[in-house]
Amino acid sequence: MATEAAPMDEKAKRMRDLLSSFYTPDPSISTPTSSISTSFDNINGPSFDADQYMDLMIKKSNLDVLLQRHVQMAAEIKNLDTDLQMLVYENYNKFISATDTIKRMKSNIFGMEGNMDQLLHKIMSVQSRSDGVNTSLFEKREHIEKLHRTRNLLRKVQQFIYDLPARLQKCIKSEAYGDAVRFYTGAMPILKVYGDTSFKDCRRASEEAIETIIKNLQTKLFSDSESIQARAEAAVLLKQLDVPVDSLKDKLLEKLEQSLDGLQINPDEASKLAEHNVSSKDEESNNQGPAKIHEDAVRGFSEAMRAYREIFPDSEERLFKLARALTTTHFENMELYIRKRVSAADFLGIFRIIWEDVVLMDEVLPEAALSDLSAEAAQVTLKQFVARTFSHLQQDISDTLLKFDINQKEVVDGEVLKVVLEASGKAEFRQLLDENTGIFVKMNDLLIGWIQKGFQDFFRSLESHFLVLSGKTSSSNETEGLVEGKSSEKIHAGLILVLAQLSVVIEQKVIPRIAEEITASFSGGNSQAFIPGELCRVFHAASEKLLQHYIDTRTQKISNVLRKRFKTPNWVKHKEPREVHMYVDMLLQQLEEVGKEVKQILPQGTFRKHKRSDSNGSNTTTSSRSTTLHSDKMARSNSQRARSQLFETHLAKLFKQKVEIFTKVEFTQESVVTTTVKLCLKSLQEYVRLQTFNRSGFQQIQLDIQFLKAPLKETVEDEAAIDFLLDEVIVAASERCLDVTPLEPPILDKLIQAKLAKSKEHNNNNNKTTVSS
Amino acid sequence: MQGGSSGIGYGLKYQARCISDVKADTDHTSFLTGTLSLKEENEVHLLRLSSGGSELVCEGLFSHPNEIWDLASCPFDQRIFSTVFSTGESFGAAIWQIPEPYGQSNSSTLDCVASLDAHVGKINCVLWCPSGKSDKLISMDEQNLVLWSLDSSKKSAEVVSKESAGMRHSLSGGAWNPHDVNSVAATSESSIQFWDLRTMKNVNSIERAHVRNVDYNTKREHILVTADDESGIHIWDLRKAKAPVQELPGHTHWTWAVRCNPEYEELILSVGTDSAVNLWFASASSEKQASERSAEASRQRVNPLLNSYTDYEDSVYGLAWSSREPWFFASLSYDGRVLN
Repeated sequence: MATEAAPMDEKAKRMRDLLSSFYTPDPSISTPTSSISTSFDNINGPSFDADQYMDLMIKKSNLDVLLQRHVQMAAEIKNLDTDLQMLVYENYNKFISATDTIKRMKSNIFGMEGNMDQLLHKIMSVQSRSDGVNTSLFEKREHIEKLHRTRNLLRKVQQFIYDLPARLQKCIKSEAYGDAVRFYTGAMPILKVYGDTSFKDCRRASEEAIETIIKNLQTKLFSDSESIQARAEAAVLLKQLDVPVDSLKDKLLEKLEQSLDGLQINPDEASKLAEHNVSSKDEESNNQGPAKIHEDAVRGFSEAMRAYREIFPDSEERLFKLARALTTTHFENMELYIRKRVSAADFLGIFRIIWEDVVLMDEVLPEAALSDLSAEAAQVTLKQFVARTFSHLQQDISDTLLKFDINQKEVVDGEVLKVVLEASGKAEFRQLLDENTGIFVKMNDLLIGWIQKGFQDFFRSLESHFLVLSGKTSSSNETEGLVEGKSSEKIHAGLILVLAQLSVVIEQKVIPRIAEEITASFSGGNSQAFIPGELCRVFHAASEKLLQHYIDTRTQKISNVLRKRFKTPNWVKHKEPREVHMYVDMLLQQLEEVGKEVKQILPQGTFRKHKRSDSNGSNTTTSSRSTTLHSDKMARSNSQRARSQLFETHLAKLFKQKVEIFTKVEFTQESVVTTTVKLCLKSLQEYVRLQTFNRSGFQQIQLDIQFLKAPLKETVEDEAAIDFLLDEVIVAASERCLDVTPLEPPILDKLIQAKLAKSKEHNNNNNKTTVSS
Repeated sequence: MQGGSSGIGYGLKYQARCISDVKADTDHTSFLTGTLSLKEENEVHLLRLSSGGSELVCEGLFSHPNEIWDLASCPFDQRIFSTVFSTGESFGAAIWQIPEPYGQSNSSTLDCVASLDAHVGKINCVLWCPSGKSDKLISMDEQNLVLWSLDSSKKSAEVVSKESAGMRHSLSGGAWNPHDVNSVAATSESSIQFWDLRTMKNVNSIERAHVRNVDYNTKREHILVTADDESGIHIWDLRKAKAPVQELPGHTHWTWAVRCNPEYEELILSVGTDSAVNLWFASASSEKQASERSAEASRQRVNPLLNSYTDYEDSVYGLAWSSREPWFFASLSYDGRVLN
């Protein structure tokens, strides 16, 4: 019976399988083994075979199992059938409804396409609209945002400005002017624009505060006690505050200018300064006096300048001008000072002070080219000083000469003069140069040039001055001499001689000495302005000229005497000679004077003695010969053979060596005297030639000449020439004589002796009177 | 005078002081000299430069009664000349005519045209009017200035006017202004005086002592040259009479006479008692500038002395340029030598 239960289970299972196989296209895969094993019994298996299964069943089972089986089978088939029927039905229903749904769906979907398009369109338009709105609103939004920000700022500013007065006050209290000014200048534009409206009170208050600030700043600026920096800051702040700084500056600079006046070294002060300089050298510690004060003043000035320069950087021009003005006034004053007579030391003292000032100022204002300016000015001043020193030197010399003029005895002055000349010439400039090497190295060359040139010019002008003094070149001087009369002329002549000697001294001693000095201490000058050779030549010429002039003036005086002598009497009606005429005395007197002057001034010829003995020896013959010739001639003329007498004189001249009358003058006493005598005798001869004599006239001349012979020979170097000239006079007289009868020698001698005795007596008398007086 | 210092010489027999150029003789270079001898017969020599210029020939020798102190040739008639003479005690002046034909006979006598006998004192010189045809003469003694009018055909001379210079000024010589016939310069003891002949008044003077000789520059107006005893030669501008324009050293002794060259204005000749004849060059430019920078100029200027002729042995007194040939001059020394 187990088989029976099993078939029951089997039956349900089979059913399910069948259904599932309906839905499952391949059930065999799931039960392959069972189908094999049950392939014969499993009806539901795919491999089921109905014939086999029937054969198997008939064979195995009896009719009851078979009938049962049949019935079971029939039931199952029936069941299956209904199930299938149900299934189909259900499926059919589903299908129909699906078809209906699809049908409905299909109709629904049909109108959707157009709608979709429309929708798309609409969406697009919506989008563009929204974009437009967006852009159109953007600007406004931005503006709104800006406004918003401004508003925030304004609120802040408002706050600041309302705070400003208070803040300024606070600043004033703490003297933080810089901050105050910064605040104020920050607020300034707002205040300016809205000051009238919203911030009226605020503005007023802050302006008041600023007013006080400005005041404070100005006082600060003007007060000298403040530091420069503070003042400079104050100035800057003031400038920022739009206060007219220029006027301030002007005021300050004016003040500075005024202080300049105080700084000027006026000449009096200068001399004082110089004195103090000297005294301070003597006693260093004692007092440095005005020099010190001045230096301080200048220092202060330069400080002030420095300050102003920092304060007002744009005012440099003005400062330059000021500094320049100061230096120029310095140098101008210096010039004024030099105009008076100053020693080199004093000059240098002041010069040094000025230079220090300049250096100080130059430190402050290097761009002002002060040093250049002052160097230029210094050059000018130095040049002037050198020139002035030379002119003073010259003045000295002429003064000394004039003194000599007044007091004739001071011939020694000439010597003094020499010393003065040399000493001052050397020392002054030596000092100048020594000092200057310390101070103006750069000007050294120039200075040397000037000094050399100065010497050159000095000597030149000295020479011309000599000539002017001597009256050689200026006619006014000469006429003056004429007007003043004889006495002044005498001095004049002496002066000329002194000048001549002086030029010789200059030529021989001073110039070489100065040349030495120059080479010693002034060497290195690029220009050789001092040419000693040329100067020597000039002075040589000058001395010769002067000497010649001296002789000229002397002989002119003598020839005046002679002229009067020969013009006044009527020689044709001359009386017999009784004595030697007065003019001879005058002539001798003049010559004596010349001799005296010459002896005082000129050196003695070294070879005098020598020459004298020499000429003595040679001269005796000539003189004797001439006398013999003379007497011979006289004898002949006695016999009224004038014609042959003339011939005789010519013959005599031929035999006698021609005597050089006009020889070159030398700088010796003898030479000068001789030349003078010669010229006088020549003039005498010429005067004689212009007259016509009678016998007595001729005899007078003869007597005079005879008398002259002895004293002249004593004084004179060249006896031969004098003899010759004296003879010439007599010959000329005899030629111009109507009746030539010479005096007898004894009478001549007698008259001469008488004259000599008389003159001796006169001399004695003179001596007596001088002794008694 | 050309060809160096060695001139052509001519010897007079006697001493002589004066020589004059015969201006009216346009064919030859002639000079007149007169001797100065107290005791002998004095002569007037007419000298002529031979055509070759190498020799001085005596064309005429005329005896003159007295010693001749001054001699001047008539500017328009070569045969007429004037002399100032002295008899030893008194002076006289006369105008003479050389007889025609002259030259051959020795010591032929001169015809006296007129005697200028209005003077008492020592006559110094006779001046002929330089303008040529005028027949005016001036004679000077120490105090007086006499203007004569000469009529040579009538052989007479009339005193036109006479003026005394005063006792104080002893006139010694003079020169007639060649640019102004009414003006005469006269030298006196202390000054050079300028006389206006129309009024016979002293119109101007240069104060200068001892002027020996004076001469106008014939080429340049207002320029006057003077010779001094001592100070040499001065050149004056008459417009600026205060001071000389230029100064030349002159001679070692007195400068006796000075003459300007008639053609070349810069040349000045001077003679002196130092027996020398000096030829000077006073350049026009330096004259103008001399007043401005006289000191400087005198230093830089070349030596104004061009040449010095020292052939003489005695003092030279006479001097004359040849007016026909301006490079010839004659000078005369006391011992009677004439050099060209």
